[in-house]
Amino acid sequence: MNEDYLKEAGYIALEAGLRKGVDTEVYLTINRQLSIEVADHLVETLKESEETGLGIRLIKDNKIGFAYTSDLSARAILEAVDDAYQITAYTSADQYNQLPSGKYEYQAMQLYDEEINSASVETKIAMAQQVEEAARQTDGRISIIERAGYEDAEYITLIMNTNGLYASAKGNFSGIYIYLAAEEKGDAQTGFAMCMSKWFKDLQPIKVGREAAANAIRSLHARNIDSAVIPCVMEPYVVTQFMTILSRMVNAETVQKGKSLLAGKIGQKIASTSFHLVDDATRADGTACFPFDDEGVPTRCNQIISRGVLNHYLYDTYSAARDGVTSTGNARRASFRSLPGVGSSNFMVLPAANSTESLIAGIGKGLYITEVMGMHTVNPISGDFSVGAAGIMIENGGLTFPVRGITIAGNIVDLLQNIDAVGSDMRFYGSKAAPALRLQNVNISG
Amino acid sequence: MLDKYILNQVLDEALKSGGDFAEIYVEEKNISNIYYDDDKIESINSGREKGAGIRVIKQGNTAYVYTNDLSTKSLLKAAETASRAAGPNMINRSSIALNCKSINSQIRFQPEQLSFADKIQHIVSANNIARNFSKDIRQVTITLGEARKTVQIANSEGELIEDERSRVRMSISAVAAQGNIVQTGYESAGEIGGWELLNKVSLDDMALNAAKLAVNMLSAQPAPVGKMPVVMSSTAGGTLVHEACGHGLEADLVQKGLSVYKDNRGKQVAASGVNIIDDATIEGKYGSYQFDDEGIRAQRKVLIENGELCGYMYDRLTAQKDGTKSTGNGRRESYQHKPIPRMSNTMIGPGSEEPEQIIKSTSHGLLVKKMGGGQVNTTNGDFVFEVQEAYLIENGEIKSPVRGAILTGNGPEVLKNIDSIGKDLGFGIGTCGKDGQGVAVGDAQPTIRIKQLTIGGTRMADGPQIKRIRRK
Repeated sequence: MNEDYLKEAGYIALEAGLRKGVDTEVYLTINRQLSIEVADHLVETLKESEETGLGIRLIKDNKIGFAYTSDLSARAILEAVDDAYQITAYTSADQYNQLPSGKYEYQAMQLYDEEINSASVETKIAMAQQVEEAARQTDGRISIIERAGYEDAEYITLIMNTNGLYASAKGNFSGIYIYLAAEEKGDAQTGFAMCMSKWFKDLQPIKVGREAAANAIRSLHARNIDSAVIPCVMEPYVVTQFMTILSRMVNAETVQKGKSLLAGKIGQKIASTSFHLVDDATRADGTACFPFDDEGVPTRCNQIISRGVLNHYLYDTYSAARDGVTSTGNARRASFRSLPGVGSSNFMVLPAANSTESLIAGIGKGLYITEVMGMHTVNPISGDFSVGAAGIMIENGGLTFPVRGITIAGNIVDLLQNIDAVGSDMRFYGSKAAPALRLQNVNISG
Repeated sequence: MLDKYILNQVLDEALKSGGDFAEIYVEEKNISNIYYDDDKIESINSGREKGAGIRVIKQGNTAYVYTNDLSTKSLLKAAETASRAAGPNMINRSSIALNCKSINSQIRFQPEQLSFADKIQHIVSANNIARNFSKDIRQVTITLGEARKTVQIANSEGELIEDERSRVRMSISAVAAQGNIVQTGYESAGEIGGWELLNKVSLDDMALNAAKLAVNMLSAQPAPVGKMPVVMSSTAGGTLVHEACGHGLEADLVQKGLSVYKDNRGKQVAASGVNIIDDATIEGKYGSYQFDDEGIRAQRKVLIENGELCGYMYDRLTAQKDGTKSTGNGRRESYQHKPIPRMSNTMIGPGSEEPEQIIKSTSHGLLVKKMGGGQVNTTNGDFVFEVQEAYLIENGEIKSPVRGAILTGNGPEVLKNIDSIGKDLGFGIGTCGKDGQGVAVGDAQPTIRIKQLTIGGTRMADGPQIKRIRRK
């Protein structure tokens, strides 16, 4: 199955929409995935999949109808168009409901690594085994490998609409990961590490295995500490977890619904001067690199926060029309099963020049935060958070003993303004990337 | 659904190069969701999907291949891929004779029999009730969702199960605000079956309760910080038992050594009087089913009896590793996933005390009436939960409401620290996420008292999403 197969299905849907006299958009994908999980050097699970699907969006009298199908036969497509058409009778009319205006030029991008496709399954299994082996060899206390694995995905996306838009591209990426536990004297602690990349040659199994092992070992025999307000350094991974909340707050849809505390803050300084936030789907080393968004609008590099000042929000076609601006190319869909909404692509806090050591060196008493739990419950309306955390104590500029069972609480805007130094070690976790950040005062309850 | 002859062919192909077990799971699913927000229908999503997953197990290892192309050619190709992935083996085997058990649908009122117009009428009425409750209500979000599946499960043991499943759910969240204080009230309900649910549970009542809760919590004081006794009302549902205990009793985590409950069978792991049960057979409950996703009949399993650990939850593969039988807990999100041990409806069994008496006998503590989401690290048992509705207890009396309480603790410690168990039982619903698969679960508990828990910080949940129960 290929682009031609999708194109054929797409035209059936578009023509059916045209016959009904409505604006029509069809989104089609083919997704192929391979995932390998090893345990004790054996392949525990090998999963291969292929999925095809179509989502149809109609606009009739400013009302949207949406339906999807995984069956691309002409009969199933026509049924989906009928379902979507029927739904337009019930949804609310909104003058800003519109499809992207049409013929765009798309930037040529390197999206497909032939090496991912050509490497044998045996090579990929061996990589997963190397991750596991490297972790075990790092330290004798690594007692359990929960999961170690390799995965890759290949996708073709085709979007067409009755304004003449035609967008098509094929991409892929691959990754390795490991979840493990270290045990010593009755204490067990988990560790994980991952590497996702658009380029097969960038996957480094030994590095990933060692990193996960080190993460678990450093948490052994952690203890509680007394409540305190102290400086903290957040690891890049922890920063990316906070960015999940931030991505909701800079989402124009959230802002327009009055669910973001960044509403009305354009042009204002909301973070420390050293804080720069960008969303950039054109960035070649991010897994979300793609020439167009999920409505077919060309992507671009969006400078959301520069030197602490909020420049703009992220928009899709609908939210942009509502604010009288142009889409930033941030329409995203979870899959062909859903309507587009605003979402981030390669969402990044830009690095500065400070090594992690230098961030820690300046702290007399503080905490190096390595883990947060319960981030999904942070309130994006008020920005208030209180999450479980674990980390390593910083004393006299150096890391001392591990800490767990604490909560850190505060408000995300205070946190952004509290950043007093930014690290140099920007890393991608999925499509989010961040360096380590140092914060002046964090509320810790023990 | 597929013809028996084709299923047979696929299983033969899957075991072509040997293997201990082969299975094909075929699913056809129709879904429809209405999402109402900001006084209007924000979206309606309707979809049809079908697909098949083929699994070959050889020496404890699994090859899984899925496709949403159900042509015989595509299925045989998928079976061949699975067979190849499982690796070579010289055992010759004869063809399988499939013996079909077909399930008569228990669903009287199919979800799709309620029209969009009727559903919208219910939604608009509930929206008005929530908004009219107070001028402080700023936003009301309502979702109604339904899913109907027909599944076929055929395996190399000669079993063939054909089942029809349908599940409906509804939720409402009301946001109230005064100045800088924003509070959310959230209600949800769901069951196996169709929209007869609307005759049993009133969406209007849910709207009123959500609005009341949001408004009441505006005047609440911030939660205290520190350690204190906690009374959890049965209205809190069973998030605690699900997170703090349930995941640790799933056999895959136990066998991998990732559970604090490994090697604890026959040992006292909870206070006496504590019974923990996983029961997939309760009629209509959100986590119930007739057969699990491996075709094993649903069961009621006592996991902890009077404080003693008696067993774990198994699917076929983990049961075979432990030399026992599946407990009917092999579940999967869809044809795209291999089955793994999952909970169904998990509960702390009721005791004999009067719930009011438990509160009266508490001199100082926190009364939790509604829980939010939570997360657990199964390796060490540490958990964190958010609380939606809570009150201070002083000298046995319920005093002022508090907002933004977070409970942190350790699962095994909490089970040992339960010192009162009420005779009531309250259910909750949720979508439990594990290994990237979400499945519908129910949970329940009576009013219980925990001697001591850590209360921390200020935060609350937002949004219409069904209560998310996550595992690390």
